[in-house]
Amino acid sequence: MNIDPRKFISINGIDRRDFLLRGSGLVSAVFLAACNSRGPKAADRLLKYAERKNLVIERKLLRHTSMDAVQAGAHDAVNKLPSYFISRTVPVWDESVRGKWALEVSGLVGNPVRLTIEELQQLPQVSNRVNHYCVEGWTAVETWTGVPFTELARLVHADPLAHYVDFQSFDDDYHESWDIESAMHKQTVVAYGLDGKMLEPAHGAPARVYSPVKLGYKNTKYLTKIVFMPKMNGGYWSDAGYEWYGGT
Amino acid sequence: MIRKRHHWIVRTTHWVNVVAIIIMVGSGLRIFNAYPAFARKGEMFCCYPFEHKPIPDWLTFGGWLGGARHWHFAMMWVLVVNGLVYLTFIYLHGEWRDLVPRRGDIRDSLQMVKFYTFRRKDHPHQGKHNALQKTAYFLLPVFGALAVLTGIAIWKPVELAPLTAVFGGYVWARYWHFIAMLAIVILSVVHVFMVFAVDPYSMTSMITGNYDPSLSPEARNARPFYHLFPRRARAAAAPPPPAAT
Repeated sequence: MNIDPRKFISINGIDRRDFLLRGSGLVSAVFLAACNSRGPKAADRLLKYAERKNLVIERKLLRHTSMDAVQAGAHDAVNKLPSYFISRTVPVWDESVRGKWALEVSGLVGNPVRLTIEELQQLPQVSNRVNHYCVEGWTAVETWTGVPFTELARLVHADPLAHYVDFQSFDDDYHESWDIESAMHKQTVVAYGLDGKMLEPAHGAPARVYSPVKLGYKNTKYLTKIVFMPKMNGGYWSDAGYEWYGGT
Repeated sequence: MIRKRHHWIVRTTHWVNVVAIIIMVGSGLRIFNAYPAFARKGEMFCCYPFEHKPIPDWLTFGGWLGGARHWHFAMMWVLVVNGLVYLTFIYLHGEWRDLVPRRGDIRDSLQMVKFYTFRRKDHPHQGKHNALQKTAYFLLPVFGALAVLTGIAIWKPVELAPLTAVFGGYVWARYWHFIAMLAIVILSVVHVFMVFAVDPYSMTSMITGNYDPSLSPEARNARPFYHLFPRRARAAAAPPPPAAT
């Protein structure tokens, strides 16, 4: 069959040059945008908008009845559990300088308290064998022992207007604030034990918040203060550009 | 003899999909590079030979983990809404009939493979798409749906634990998410290659919607890169020319 040469020049009113120009323009625009950059600046507002909408959806998805469960046959991470902190060296509470460590629970509460590690251990205790979900994509199974956050909230008579709670630490200025719903989840504990032993400095001693409903970076280690708040208060990684919610 | 080949909804969703898939894959690989492995800490993973080997940076998008996550979690809505618009349209408009697999597609696919490998002289007769194309265009939304569902499963492994369990738990859901991405990438690369190699006129039809059936691969008896070797192609048997217009 003979092919009409004009067909190669003009199809549907677009000639080849036009087509190549338009086509290569589109392709190079996509590739320019896709090179390992952070993407066009103009998109920042759209991304922020999407994050706000996702936050609404994620908060609605949160159920106090949905529990994290470890898969049958999963092994504990034990010494493979990574250790993260923002200070240069492992943060250790030095009693000779700072006095005895105590956890302050305050803010919008009727009965602010300061709890030593012994007092924490006398409060109702739970051990949860749960998944740790890291923002990087890995998971690790560990058993965390501590006080359910709900017990602390009851102890201090948390105000119903406290919609947020800030977990602060002595690891430099590390802190992360949470929505109160996630904090009141049954599996959220203020943990002082890991795998049946007292928590070690590598993993947040003397106490840290731990919950499988939040990504690792939301679970502040090296706790000093738990502050009930009417408004959200950002956080170390949230302010650096990670999602504030960080839920699972 | 120019015919309308693609409705404007199909053309629009196609190009939106191109952008969405490129950004989803690029940002996904950037996220993956934060922990380029599947094993739970303290365990080994059976089925990925490149554990802890990062993806080359130039294939990633978003710049850093947090940035890539923002792109991924924003673009996922574009991908899902666009996909639903496309599927709803082809269902209501009847185009799904050109894409669902039928008895005989396997036989027709084998004939296409025979033709492309010079073991058959004439291009097998086809409808809108040949059997291989049909399979690819049918599988793409299937893997798309798998990517979306496994994506939701690893986004909300606690709140939507039953969904995560369907895919075998978090570690495996993350693995199937990766496999679905790989399948989509392979299908897309082959698709783009075949557009340029066999049916470059289909590029115009995906932009303007118009297509000249006398230039179809079947009419031209086109194998990959046939249009670069017109002399060789002319020797092949050709169907009768279309009626004069």
